[in-house]
Amino acid sequence: MTKILDRLPVVRHVRQSVGLQRGMLVTGLAITAVFVLTAIFAPIIAPYGYSQLRDASGTFGAQLPPGGAHLLGTTVGGYDVLSRVIWGTQTAVIVIIVAVLLSIFAGVALGLISGYIGGWLDRVLVVIADAIYAFPSLLLAIVAAIAISGGQSSFWGGILAAAISITFVFIPQYFRVIRAETVRIKSEAYVESAKVIGSGAPRIMVQHVLRNATRTLPLIFTLNSSEAILTLAGLGFLGFGIEPTAAAEWGYDLNKSLSDVTSGIWWTSLFPGLAIVLSVLGITLVGESLNDLADPRLRTRRRAEVAAHTPDPLEVQP
Amino acid sequence: MTAPEIAGPASVVPTTRPGTGGNKLLRFIIVRFLLIFPTIFILVTLVFVLMRTIGDPITAALGGRLPADQLAQRIEEAGYNRPILVQYFEYIGQVFTGNFGETISDHRPVVDVLVRYGGATLELAFYALIVAFIVGIPLGMLAAYVRDRWPDAILRVFAILCYATPVFFAGLLLKLIFAVGLGWLPVAGRASVRTELQLTRVDDPTGIYLIDALKTSNPGAVYADLLAHAVLPGVALGLLTAGIFLRLVRTNVIGTLSMDYVDSARSRGVREYRLVTKHALKPASIPIITVIGLQIAVLLGGAVLTETTFEWQGLGFMLTQYLTARDFVAVQGIVALLAVIVALTNFIVDIIAALIDPRVRY
Amino acid sequence: MTSASTKRALGVLAGTAAFALALTGCTASGGGTDDGAILVGTTDKVVTLDPAGSYDNGSFAVQNQIYAFLLNSPLGSPDPQPDLAESAEFTAPNDYTVVLKPDLKFANGHDLTASDVKFTFDRQLAIAAPDGPSSLLYNLESTEAVDDTTVVFHLKAANDQVFPQILTTFPGAIVDEEVFSATELTSDDDIVAGKAFNGQYEIASYDFNKTIEFVPNPNYAGLLGPAQNSSVILSYYADSSNLKLDVQQGNIDVAYRSLSATDVADLRADDNVTVHDGPGGEIRYIVFNFNTQPYGATTAEADPAKAQAVRQAVASLVDRQEIADQVYKGTYTPLYSFVPDGFTGATTVLKDLYGDGSGGPDATKAAAILAAAGVTTPVALSLQYNPDHYGPSSGDEYALVKSQLEADGLFTVDLQSTEWVQYSEDRVNDVYPAYQLGWFPDYSDADNYLTPFFLTNNFLGNHYSNPTVDDLITQQGVTQDPAERTAIIEQIQAVVGEDLSTVPLLQGAQVAVSGKTIDGLTLDASFKFRFATLVKG
Repeated sequence: MTKILDRLPVVRHVRQSVGLQRGMLVTGLAITAVFVLTAIFAPIIAPYGYSQLRDASGTFGAQLPPGGAHLLGTTVGGYDVLSRVIWGTQTAVIVIIVAVLLSIFAGVALGLISGYIGGWLDRVLVVIADAIYAFPSLLLAIVAAIAISGGQSSFWGGILAAAISITFVFIPQYFRVIRAETVRIKSEAYVESAKVIGSGAPRIMVQHVLRNATRTLPLIFTLNSSEAILTLAGLGFLGFGIEPTAAAEWGYDLNKSLSDVTSGIWWTSLFPGLAIVLSVLGITLVGESLNDLADPRLRTRRRAEVAAHTPDPLEVQP
Repeated sequence: MTAPEIAGPASVVPTTRPGTGGNKLLRFIIVRFLLIFPTIFILVTLVFVLMRTIGDPITAALGGRLPADQLAQRIEEAGYNRPILVQYFEYIGQVFTGNFGETISDHRPVVDVLVRYGGATLELAFYALIVAFIVGIPLGMLAAYVRDRWPDAILRVFAILCYATPVFFAGLLLKLIFAVGLGWLPVAGRASVRTELQLTRVDDPTGIYLIDALKTSNPGAVYADLLAHAVLPGVALGLLTAGIFLRLVRTNVIGTLSMDYVDSARSRGVREYRLVTKHALKPASIPIITVIGLQIAVLLGGAVLTETTFEWQGLGFMLTQYLTARDFVAVQGIVALLAVIVALTNFIVDIIAALIDPRVRY
Repeated sequence: MTSASTKRALGVLAGTAAFALALTGCTASGGGTDDGAILVGTTDKVVTLDPAGSYDNGSFAVQNQIYAFLLNSPLGSPDPQPDLAESAEFTAPNDYTVVLKPDLKFANGHDLTASDVKFTFDRQLAIAAPDGPSSLLYNLESTEAVDDTTVVFHLKAANDQVFPQILTTFPGAIVDEEVFSATELTSDDDIVAGKAFNGQYEIASYDFNKTIEFVPNPNYAGLLGPAQNSSVILSYYADSSNLKLDVQQGNIDVAYRSLSATDVADLRADDNVTVHDGPGGEIRYIVFNFNTQPYGATTAEADPAKAQAVRQAVASLVDRQEIADQVYKGTYTPLYSFVPDGFTGATTVLKDLYGDGSGGPDATKAAAILAAAGVTTPVALSLQYNPDHYGPSSGDEYALVKSQLEADGLFTVDLQSTEWVQYSEDRVNDVYPAYQLGWFPDYSDADNYLTPFFLTNNFLGNHYSNPTVDDLITQQGVTQDPAERTAIIEQIQAVVGEDLSTVPLLQGAQVAVSGKTIDGLTLDASFKFRFATLVKG
């Protein structure tokens, strides 16, 4: 039983870690768990609906300070801040799932094809991936979000637009990893021999690439999850996100709170912002711990290759 | 996942064995330079296609004012309903002749727009980089020095918080505390009204206020006003990068601290503090240079959000405005410029890295 | 930042802040070069100073200061009076003749003659810029300069009562034929360098969408009289929060367009500033598509009577006051007719016909209307709004409308939003059964709230057609007697009030905020904000 558990990526990491690293990893896992549970049980936890404006005693009223029936106050539009914050986790989790799944599938497929076939196709794909990778991801996401949604802001329209536009900028990351791995494995002895025999080379490669990739994919996965939250919030903040009647979205709420700030109204911006910070913090703590554990220099402080090739996926933070 | 993370577009450079020969380096530089063009071309094409699918500027401006048939007629006259390929070749043709066109929504030459608002973005990125250096590098060295003890954990959580906090939320918090709550600093903008007036009156304004301020009658007061306005946006955007620098410096200094020569220095009795500041930092600087290059893209992305938060009229702020107006020409111009900046910095960074460390060249 | 690291972060912040403070502190007396100038702040944007290339409020706000018109609205009245003109009248059913005042000059010393006037209108029609206002000159056949001071406008339709109004607005700004190009837009720099101004002000310095410095134009000889101040500096803000703080702290003297509702509410409570409210021409309304709304002409259960009942029930259920108070904090006011309050001929027809009779909602009445027509409740209504064109509060406004319609179980509303460009295309293609729209007038006349909306084949494209309304609208356009015309305008509102092609919701108030030392700020039904009356006390 323990053996099987040990082979699961995250569990293995927890066992592997010691001291502070374990502390960070466990804290990160705890925050992330709270985040996911809040998303699942949002309908039960939240006192009101995300687009609810009135109850039996009439409208809530706009910009009410925290206290009374509205623990964290109400927004400029008259929504309950606490409820919007809680429902917002659901939107964030759905976007993460859709965005990361889409980019993993597309990125892995393209990476395998590109790495295996090689030649001009490979070069063209690499140049395209590099171009998109190097460019500020949020800017592309903005344009893509409008193009994808056709401007509609229904629940799935808005979420898909956000998710797909995020996918768009994530694909190059998976693509790079998988392609590099494919190119490396292509020249390995067992693939060469399979080729000589004349059959099964692609199948063997896919197996090996995927097996090896499971070591690095959880890391990219966590980093992309946090980046997905930030990109979603960024889109919402710039006014290209999901409307409040379709779903609760933290970036949108922050955008609306921008004009509250000069009047000293702090509760409309503070709580959605904290929600973003906490959820990203939790996921990033997990990601960084995994990164440390994967990097021998940081795990054991033994000598290693000089840093020029340090994996540093955080470079792509928006 | 190793090399491709940082090597950037270099991964398509024809594989050559590591060597130090001058013509191999030259070949690398040339190939690497030529790759700038497809990069820019791809981004411009991508944005062109996306922009044409999201509507035309005339509907954006007058959709609530004119009947449908009049709108259609105006769109027809402006040529926005022609096949996208025709429009694309027309645009590419113009760009090749150095003509970036005139913005549709406010009739400005695109080059003017880029110069005018680029200065503001440049300034913001400059301030942010200063904050990032001041905060990120010393703290990163400190974290390496105290590694795996509790101050290290605090510093690392601080670093994570820096990039877990969206710049606009950091900006909002800073505004709430320092501008609205304490009233110490201005809440938004690049300069106060009277300062802006003075700056518009100088001869040949460059649009970069830090330079224009020299030409005013009382540069001291103008600089003070500019800096007061720069603090909050600079910090908001700078902390994002500072967190990344902190993490990077820590990782790499720890990495070099375990090298043989550092070990031998340690055995000679060199103090740990000196090891961190003298022996380990220099080799650790190569990846830092590389990442600074990549950070330019991050800064530009973050600038869009920071500019909106602080009403800082730079390229990012204008980009969202022009997007809303569906001003193809302006958006393409801005994206092209950003693509050039990103591609050029990556090129320079790759070259520097290759000069320092031949292994980067594959 | 929430953890223990806050201290460190704050330490860094405080250090940097202190550094900047030290710098600002020792030079607080900087500036002061513009004493006497009145500083006006705005978040509007200029598209171009060329009247042929702009059809937006931000550009017009500037053009209105630097160009004169043949006719203009005097302070406090929406009705046009001769400005550059000495007289203006119909000399034949299709000829509108304007005689200019003698010896008019531009700020650059060029003579302003009938030839300039002809040039102005000819170039509008010749350029017909895609985003320009030339379409307002739909009734102008040609312009003839008879002599140096006499111009005859040959009109397509006779006795057009609206044409004089159009001369006071976007396409009517008279330009200098020696500076402007006849065939293409003239750049701002050329206009400023050529000093082609004939309004109350000329532009002394111009930094596009940053600052404009206005000084009085000594050559202005029009209706409004010379400017009362020595100079005005217009400063452009990217967004409203800085504008609000600057006017609050006295860094600028006047803030005009557009402060957020929250800002205005906050400023009203501040004794250091005065909030000025004026009548506003901007309206917000719900459009019903007569084909696709519930029981509409192309739906499976088409029934005009039931469709009308649905619209009337909506009109009875919306609580305009609640929207105005909660969402707009008084920067918008309830609108009970199609022609907004303040215009000659405006009524409150919807207040009398629907709701509780005094403006509030009445669910019982709505239920009765629906029951009488045999409509089964709840009615499923798809309602669309646009989040990015009519200000940031549209989402809140329509969320509230949805909640009001659903409060008593008579409607179930499917509320969706679409970004502006797509929205503009969809709404005229019958995609939306009911949707939000707003309107800002081109000229200050009731006609501008009727003709574009309720004629068959109107700009709404909502398939509303009522021959009686068509006749009445055409008739008011050519009725010369003011009292008779007003009566017709009132009658149109009564008829449309029964039909409810649209359900008007709100009317925007003009809001300006000034420091205590500013006098002479006037917001009137001309909707033109004039810098010339401002004085610093």
